Amino acid sequence: MGGSSIGEGTLSLGDFVASAKALIEKWKAIDIDDSLPDWQWKPCGKMGVPSEEEGYLALEGVYRNPGGRHVSIVLVYLHVLQEQIEDSNNFDDADIVSDDAWVQSSSESVHIYDYHVVYSFSYKVPVLYFQGHQAGGQLLTLDEIKEDLPSRSLKLLGESKWTFITREEHPHFSRPWFTLHPCGTSDCMKLLLEGVENKDQHVQYLPAWLSVVGQAVGLKIPLELYGNL
Amino acid sequence: MAAVAAEQKKVVVHFRSTGNAPQLKQSKFKIGGNEKFLKIIDFLRRQIHQDTVFLYVNSAFSPNPDELIIDLYNNFGIDGQLVVNYASSMAWG
Repeated sequence: MGGSSIGEGTLSLGDFVASAKALIEKWKAIDIDDSLPDWQWKPCGKMGVPSEEEGYLALEGVYRNPGGRHVSIVLVYLHVLQEQIEDSNNFDDADIVSDDAWVQSSSESVHIYDYHVVYSFSYKVPVLYFQGHQAGGQLLTLDEIKEDLPSRSLKLLGESKWTFITREEHPHFSRPWFTLHPCGTSDCMKLLLEGVENKDQHVQYLPAWLSVVGQAVGLKIPLELYGNL
Repeated sequence: MAAVAAEQKKVVVHFRSTGNAPQLKQSKFKIGGNEKFLKIIDFLRRQIHQDTVFLYVNSAFSPNPDELIIDLYNNFGIDGQLVVNYASSMAWG
């Protein structure tokens, strides 16, 4: 199934779907810390008819603090809970007040991201779409998203305005999402999969691809995804 | 003793050029295991005088600059060295 096209760094729709299913399983099997949710397959057929082949991969609800790495809001709450228990032991009102202030500021600065991976029929590669919002639901602007991007990406963003991160209509929704331009993806993939046996190529395609796009948008992919299971 | 050894462990990094990337005169270097992969990226950029370089390992992925070199070596090192392939091409530029 499309083995030769993977050699060129591209993949067929069938290979994309197979690779997506394999990624979902492998992601579940590895021990990922709580800050990253599971990947999900979202079927979406044409004309309201769901189909097995039509759909996209989604990683939704990734919490990030600007300038920091992924952070789980659960941990923030746990921390507060712990502090409050300690506080209730010594009845120190001043400490409780300062804790509240701390929670307030951290929930304001938290950014929650949704990442979608959609198959591009024109480039024959996966394309990343993403958007971020604040805890209150307000969508993040490009300037706010920039706070979460690695410095290398900020540099690229300044140099190549139209071939890196742009805003385009999400193929499955009629709303604009941020997207990573797919030009050059196949060149990268060709190199990455060169040493991989043909039968494993479609399975390893998406993890390999994620290692590249993850760096561009500041999504850290666990190393375990690349180990042999 | 073991902990001290791990902390100071040096990793042999073997650079391999692919495609049109310039080759290095010396291809193997020792680098501290507790350094991040970013150190390898910066080092290579300086060596080949190119800012756009794409690095990847044989396990078919491009390591995040934040990864510790010792972690990469422990998981993906072969025959006592970490093989790092590099190419001039970049996905975006």
